[in-house]
Amino acid sequence: MSATLDKLTTVFHDVFEDDDIVLTRETTAADIAGWDSLRNVMLMRKVGRTFGFPIDTSEVTGLKNVGALVDMIDRKKGA
Amino acid sequence: MSEPTGLLGEVFADLAARHPASLRGAQEARAIEPARFDATAERYLGWLRKARGDAWLTSSVNAYVQFSTDVIFAQADYEDDGAYAHDSFAKAHAEVYSQRHVMDEYLWGVYLTNFLWVHHMEIMRFFQDRFLAPLPANAHIVEIAPGHGGWGVWATASRPDVDLEGFDISPSSIAIASSIANAAGVSDRVTYTLRNALDLAVMPEASADAVICSFLVEHLEQPDQLFAVIGRILKPGGTAFITGALTAAQVDHIYEFRRESELIVLAEQHGMRVRESLSVSPQRILPKAKFLPRSMAMAVTRCAHGFW
Ligand SMILES: C[S@@+](CC[C@H](N)C(=O)[O-])C[C@H]1O[C@@H](n2cnc3c(N)ncnc32)[C@H](O)[C@@H]1O
Repeated sequence: MSATLDKLTTVFHDVFEDDDIVLTRETTAADIAGWDSLRNVMLMRKVGRTFGFPIDTSEVTGLKNVGALVDMIDRKKGA
Repeated sequence: MSEPTGLLGEVFADLAARHPASLRGAQEARAIEPARFDATAERYLGWLRKARGDAWLTSSVNAYVQFSTDVIFAQADYEDDGAYAHDSFAKAHAEVYSQRHVMDEYLWGVYLTNFLWVHHMEIMRFFQDRFLAPLPANAHIVEIAPGHGGWGVWATASRPDVDLEGFDISPSSIAIASSIANAAGVSDRVTYTLRNALDLAVMPEASADAVICSFLVEHLEQPDQLFAVIGRILKPGGTAFITGALTAAQVDHIYEFRRESELIVLAEQHGMRVRESLSVSPQRILPKAKFLPRSMAMAVTRCAHGFW
């Protein structure tokens, strides 16, 4: 498991108030109860704050799954 | 409730496949009154497909998801800051209404919210039942800020006896609304002109049997001026359908209405009586929110008998 995926998992636990959530790169909104458009935005804002960069809305609407989110975070951290 | 079919089935399947987080709200909107929702959606989507051609589905769903996401981000910022991000009409005009690409995406997104957002579907029902059904025969309707055109085109497509004249400040609106009117086969009874709503104060008094003005008030620095225009151009006894957003942030919302009574009082101050109104919030809001976002619709009549 990558360090980013690890850290992202704690963000999910926080936003969904559920410490049992287990993420894989293939996880999508369809797999997690309560992952609706509101939670999605809360999640992205929290990701921005946790990893230390602002997130533009156009960057999040196209993300396919958790793997794509991890790649985006790694790219931004590297940038 | 059966699964949606037809064009709506395509939209739901695309949301499920590419944007599962955005599906739930649309399902909730459908659940309120599935038959009406399906009929409304099928008509709106039929026009959309005709207007946009083969790529209608992906591009429109993207615009819808983008717009909805932007709105929730703006609401979260508003919760943090306690005020809308902008207060200048000139800025909204320069950065949103006059920017062709930005505004095209925005309007295609808003078009779909008319029924895919549960609280907007409620307002759609209000529009159909409380404004359109009682409209007198051969009414001449003025639509102020038609945006995508969906309200006025619905009115003219449902009522072959009425005609409509629309005014919007955005070139995108004129192009998109015209394309929807064309797709609906009503362009012989509908015109759209590029014009600032506040300039309509020079229109002849009492020249409209009815007015549609949806989600413009919160885009103005002085909404009072808009109510003056509506109160002037409406014939005594004529009806206006007016909607507005309250404590609901968006990039171009600059006037923060907090109470339903503010909109009612504005109508009253300009010679109108609010006959019916409806204020609705989304079914789910941000946790611990200080602000409850609402959309309000009113059916108002210009007073003709002294007090009403
Ligand atoms: C949120 S959209 C509403 C569109 C549509 N009426 C609806 O209810 O979905 C706001 C519209 O108001 C238009 N607008 C903003 N300021 C205006 C003004 N001063 N005069 C005319 N139109 C204006 C914008 O160009 C845009 O089309």
